[in-house]
Amino acid sequence: MKRYLFRRILSGILTILVVLGINFVIIKAAPGDPIRTLMGPENDDPVLRAALTEKWGLDDPPLQQFAAYLTNALQGDLGTSIIYNRSVNDMIWEKVGATVLLGFSSALLSLLIGTALGIVAAKREGSALDVLSSNISYTLNAMPSFWLGLMLIILFATQLKLFPSYGMTNARADYQGFAYVLDVLHHMFLPALTLILVSIPQYFRIAKSSVLQVSNEDFIVALRATGMPEKKIFNKYIFRNAILPTITIFGISMAYLITGVSLIEIVFAWPGMGRLVLTAITQRDYPTLQGIYLVMSVSVAVMTLVVDIVYTLFDPRIRFN
Amino acid sequence: MDHVLELKNLNVTYINKERKVMAVRSASLTIDKGDALGLVGESGSGKTTLAMAVLRLLSQAEVTGEAIFRGNNLLTMNNEQLNQIRWTGIAVVFQKAMNSLSAVHRIRTQIEDIYRVHYPKATAEEIAERMKALLRLVNMPERVYGLYPHEMSGGMLQRIAIAIALLHNPQLLIFDEATTALDVVTQGQILHEMVELEKTMDMTRIMITHDMSVVAASCNRVAVMYAGELVEIGPVREVIRTPLHPYTKGLMDAYPSLTGKITALKSIPGSLPDLSKPIIGCPFAARCARKIDKCYTEKPPMVAYDNGRQAACWLAGGNA
Amino acid sequence: MSVFLAKARHGIASALKDTQLRIGVIAILVLILVMIFRPVLMTVDPYYYGPDILAAPGENGHILGTNKLGQDIYSMLIEGIMVSLQVAVISAMISGILGVLIGGISGYFGGKVDTVVSEIINIFMMLPTFFLILLIIALFGNSILNVMVVIGLTTWPSNAKLMRAQALSLRERTFVKSAIAMGETKIQILLKYIIPNGIFPVVANTTMGMAWAILTEASLSFLGLGDPNVISWGQMIYDGKAYLTSAWWISTFAGLAIVLTVIIFYFLGDGLNHVLNPKYVAGRNK
Repeated sequence: MKRYLFRRILSGILTILVVLGINFVIIKAAPGDPIRTLMGPENDDPVLRAALTEKWGLDDPPLQQFAAYLTNALQGDLGTSIIYNRSVNDMIWEKVGATVLLGFSSALLSLLIGTALGIVAAKREGSALDVLSSNISYTLNAMPSFWLGLMLIILFATQLKLFPSYGMTNARADYQGFAYVLDVLHHMFLPALTLILVSIPQYFRIAKSSVLQVSNEDFIVALRATGMPEKKIFNKYIFRNAILPTITIFGISMAYLITGVSLIEIVFAWPGMGRLVLTAITQRDYPTLQGIYLVMSVSVAVMTLVVDIVYTLFDPRIRFN
Repeated sequence: MDHVLELKNLNVTYINKERKVMAVRSASLTIDKGDALGLVGESGSGKTTLAMAVLRLLSQAEVTGEAIFRGNNLLTMNNEQLNQIRWTGIAVVFQKAMNSLSAVHRIRTQIEDIYRVHYPKATAEEIAERMKALLRLVNMPERVYGLYPHEMSGGMLQRIAIAIALLHNPQLLIFDEATTALDVVTQGQILHEMVELEKTMDMTRIMITHDMSVVAASCNRVAVMYAGELVEIGPVREVIRTPLHPYTKGLMDAYPSLTGKITALKSIPGSLPDLSKPIIGCPFAARCARKIDKCYTEKPPMVAYDNGRQAACWLAGGNA
Repeated sequence: MSVFLAKARHGIASALKDTQLRIGVIAILVLILVMIFRPVLMTVDPYYYGPDILAAPGENGHILGTNKLGQDIYSMLIEGIMVSLQVAVISAMISGILGVLIGGISGYFGGKVDTVVSEIINIFMMLPTFFLILLIIALFGNSILNVMVVIGLTTWPSNAKLMRAQALSLRERTFVKSAIAMGETKIQILLKYIIPNGIFPVVANTTMGMAWAILTEASLSFLGLGDPNVISWGQMIYDGKAYLTSAWWISTFAGLAIVLTVIIFYFLGDGLNHVLNPKYVAGRNK
């Protein structure tokens, strides 16, 4: 087990190094000149250019630049935004809370709803409920998340006027305490609903196929031979065995939390990482983009490791190998 | 005389979207107290299907006929009655014990659940006591009680499976290819232990196997199945020495002798008939070395001979 | 090679019995036909900036309405098939070829090569692909060609992983061992036996990859990283975002087109998986 952990941690570190390498290489390889972007197409001030080149270290030999970039990144310094002149660290830190709030609660709800539906569909395979939910799941899986968000805005915000279509809070009213919480929830409803709908299919699919698979395994027949009632067999033995892949899927979705949520945040102007990504893209703020990519990759590496460890808690076969 | 289990005209048909497979046809068999019956046949002969059908463990199968146990027909009783009989009346040891247990639960957990199916108020200590006594019987150390299935070898698990089957002192034990997945040495050990065990407790068992040597080593009676039909039944020694049915003879010939001259191995040419179509005449006719015309047109009935021997062959009469 | 052809022939025969695959293949053929005959099927030139601005569906012969520049949505949708199919096919080809070669070499040659390449595959499979694509497009320019190539260059790992697993098991097979004994070179064996026999799961995976590519192109367009010079469904959703309340039809129909096309690729992929891997369908096959 320790050897396994060690290998996984090593893999994670390697991944982060690769990401840093990628970050570095593509900037160098890309056409265009970051300084130009910063200065704008009209400005040609040589003094400013020299100052910026010094500041961003773009005159040093590449290896030195990479070393500088590495040491900075490993110390937690993700650079400074070209555009806002603020530490990328700070910018990310500000926004990540809203993203995690939206992302985590949606992921949890979609896990619960999707898995429950998948289990029921497996139990009643072939029934109208199964066919219906399978088809809906299939279709939801084919939808671009941001498009679904737009459609929900049209339906709920524009036509029915039930929910707000942007932001996290009502900026004009100054809610406190419980009223504040309600306001946030009110604003969170549509983006969360979008995320939940697009995430349900994966949980549905894996739960259904896993339950079906386990139900057909030999030990279930063996348990039946002991006279054990079907209900107990299902609730204890089928469930516990079938739930394993769901854990993996949840872990993976946690790992890719930021990526998944970003697009939706942009649709609903939710003040999270997504917005940061968008502005960084449109303004070609590369340090910010790189910083976000690094944070995402680190979160993926870390979460994957966490999932692996959590999984061993549930599957004793892995634990002792 | 009361038989422990009596099968009358058992038919099992697997129903599939496209076709029906008649896996067991008109099987009639009796098992008496103290019997150790070997149910022998090649893959696809229907022997496992027969046993599973008796306990109604087959999904998607149509079972007709009677399976009388303790005076009641297992095939027609309701689920509650059936569940009561399962394990307390008839217990099964499956082929791969690793596959008969949940991988994510400890042995102890599963045994407690199995025990409490029939004695819901039993405490963990009572169950542990009982189980440990059984583990001693099958030569297993007590500590395995708290382990996970994957922490043990195939042979160990098989012995544990036997212990679990003995939990409620069932009247009938079915061993469904229980030693097939083990290496020869372990298989020999377990068979030997089983025979020893029988000396200390009353056991009536059915040994389902494709391996005649297992039957020879551990059974007193044998029933041979071919293509879903019983073709010969009788005491082990006599059937092995003088088989009445050509298929049985073929099975005997396929085994090299450990003593005596070296002879060429004779295997039975051909393969099983298509079980999705009704079979006219004797199912073995196409592969039989001694067939006559009648074999292709009329199915030979199971005829009783002396010494509790039965055979379904037109040519068996002359040899009995 | 003849083994491959025989397998393929048998495969296609039983394949077409699978309903999902049948529907998928027919639908794809329909799409391709629509694309080929688009001048006939379109009502107007999609690039034409007509006089009807933001017309609602049904107005003035515009079946699905028009956008801010007067372009007919219906005709734009048909034009958009081309981009979607191009993105899907080209990125899939790049990703497929790369994946099969890398995975095949890694699995078949084994040893140190395999250790290193597997590690690379695992690392790349962990990295957030979409964001990487985003970064690269932002840096290298947002032409549709870039999008296709970049998607192909970043999605080969899953194909490589599948191919590698196949190569690992295939190299133990007798016919491969006999080829070695007969003196065929490693490259020959790789190209003649390993790849043709192991490629089937990769094909199914690639189909799913095509669906992903279409969704990715749409997402990139939505972020403003699409190619404004081509008519793509993703671009249409992006353009329609500003007019969500006043002209809902611009974004809505483009999205529906994506959903339908992606479902078609899902059918293809699922159908292929059913056919190539009967155990894929969980359930009664005891």
